[in-house]
Parts: sequence; C-alpha cells; structure tokens
Amino acid sequence: MAEIFRTRDCVVHFKGDAYPVAISPTLISNGWSGCQGVRWVDSVEDEFMVTISDGLYGGFLLWGSDEVSDQYTGVTGNQLEQGYGIFCAGGWLLSTSTYEMYTYNSRLAPPLVPITYVVGERLRWSNRGLLTKEDEWTLSGDPRAPNNFFIAYVVQVPRAENNNYIVVQMSI
Amino acid sequence: MARKLITEIVRSRDCILFYKGDAYTVTVAPEMLAAGWSGGQGVMWCTGTDDERTVTFSDGRYGGVLLWGSDEAADQRTAQTGNQVEYRFATMLCGGSLLSTSTYERYTYASRLLPPLVPITYAANEILYFSLRGWWTNENEATLSGAPYAPDFFTGFVAQVPKASNNFFLGVQTGL
Repeated sequence: MAEIFRTRDCVVHFKGDAYPVAISPTLISNGWSGCQGVRWVDSVEDEFMVTISDGLYGGFLLWGSDEVSDQYTGVTGNQLEQGYGIFCAGGWLLSTSTYEMYTYNSRLAPPLVPITYVVGERLRWSNRGLLTKEDEWTLSGDPRAPNNFFIAYVVQVPRAENNNYIVVQMSI
Repeated sequence: MARKLITEIVRSRDCILFYKGDAYTVTVAPEMLAAGWSGGQGVMWCTGTDDERTVTFSDGRYGGVLLWGSDEAADQRTAQTGNQVEYRFATMLCGGSLLSTSTYERYTYASRLLPPLVPITYAANEILYFSLRGWWTNENEATLSGAPYAPDFFTGFVAQVPKASNNFFLGVQTGL
C-alpha cells in the first residue's frame, strides 16, 4: 500500500455524495474542521443550510474553514467569504482528525480520559458534531436519547503511524 | 456577512434532484397507469405477471421514489410526452438522494379523514415517512390508521421546510 499523506483534516479514500450547501451564521462565526458533522437548519432564503450537528445527521463537511493546507492560496477562506461548505453523505471511506479523543464525562469534569476505539465499532455524532463511540444524548440526559443514528464504522484505530487519525467507513 | 454563493433553484418539475443515489427503471402496476402519479411519489414492490420488477403506490412501505411524474407540465408537447404511461415504466430512486418535491402531505391524516383540514408544520431534521398514499409526511400513518404492518419505516429527513421562497416545495434527504 502506498503511503497516505494526511495533510488535511479529512482525507478521502473513496467518496459518496457531495453537494455545496449554505452554512449557518454559527458555523461562519466559529469556523469548523474538515469532517465536521452537520444537520439541516431552516433558512429564510431558498437554500439548503446546515449547522453544527447536535447528534443528528445530515452529513459532514468535507473541508475545514481554515485548514493549514489552504493557507496562502487563491481560495484561502473562500468558504467563509461565500458562506458555503461541501456537504457529504452516502458511503465514504476516509481518514480524519475530527473525532472525540476524550470521554464526554471527562470533558465536562477533568482529568481527561481518552476514548479507546476498536475496529468495527459503530460511531455517531457527538453533541458538537464530532465522531464518537459514546451515546452523548444518553450521557447528557437529552430527551431524544438514545442516539441510534449510527453513521459510521471504525476501519482503522488512531495510532502513531497514521498520525492519530481515525479511519471510518461512513454510511449516511 | 457572507456573500451568497448558492444559485437560484428552478423548480419546474414535481421532483428536483440535487444529488442522487441509485436509479433503476421499473415496471409500474396497472393501478398506477390508470391513476397517474407525481414526481416524488413513494412506491413499493408488488407482484407482476412477467419477469419484471413492478412497483405500485406505497402504503407506507418502500421501495423507493419515482423521479418523474407521469404527466408533468414540463413534459408536455415533447417527443416523449406520456412515454412512461405508454411503455409502463418509471425511474425509481433509492439510496441517499437530496431532493425537493411538491409531493408531500399538506394536511394531517386525521383532518383529511374528518375536516376541517389542519396543515402539517414541517421542521428541519424531522424524520419523514411515506403516507398511506405514498407521499412524504412527518406523520406515521400506518400507526394512526392501525395498519397491521405498523409502524412505517423511516424514509428521509426534512432538509428544507416548505415556504414561499421555495415555491412550497419540501427539501428531503432520503434514506432508502
């Protein structure tokens, strides 16, 4: 196998569906990483708009709003400027650094406890739209719990030789 | 404030497709040929007499979605006007698609049975089903009607609510 260069937040090995969508003011003001989970939100105009996932999908955004690889180019910051992102759904195989590294409870009350991922585990979006194995709706007492909106499987666990990226098979 | 990149969406058909999942031509059942159908119509499998994949109106179960209606305004006075009905076929979508359609339930199931009509209010991210006549709805009509196959399967999410600026089309992310 050839070496995989992980120079972006989200490195795609095979792709599913992709479509440009409008992004919400929340996303524009906060920015986002590649592979950020998003959900649909209403807009006053005739456009498909997404915002940060709270555990629900939608899908995910392919490129981050301000990635290192996009600096000093002709399109630096263009997603923020134009108010769009590339929305992705369907089946994908990808590597990403955008996942929960620490348990929900330990993020609320440190010390931080790492999450250990295992190949074949099912993943959801966390309450802030990052991939996780934990059901954060149940952990946070969300009335919609349990979160059974599984959207991915673990294909390769994060480790030193893959730059601590997680490899997932998306199924949205 | 970000500048607007998203272009105008021309809604000249019953079902406008933004990205598509799987598409396949299927035979349509006699009752569909007789009644006609809209683009975005939900369908389910039924038994045909020949070696064909045949679909009929969904009763809440799927199937998939028919992309083009049988007699849409956009298809009039062309060389292919009425060809789906003539040749008893349609193009069925399944898998994940993003679409905008006018084929959805505007009024609650209970109020359609017993007026006055009560509008359904859709919200972004709501789960959608096919109604008992195969239109998109946020009500689980199999459960409401006591159908033996209840509850309905989830077939999509609301991606955009109907409103004046989108000609009251419903945006749907399908999950079929």
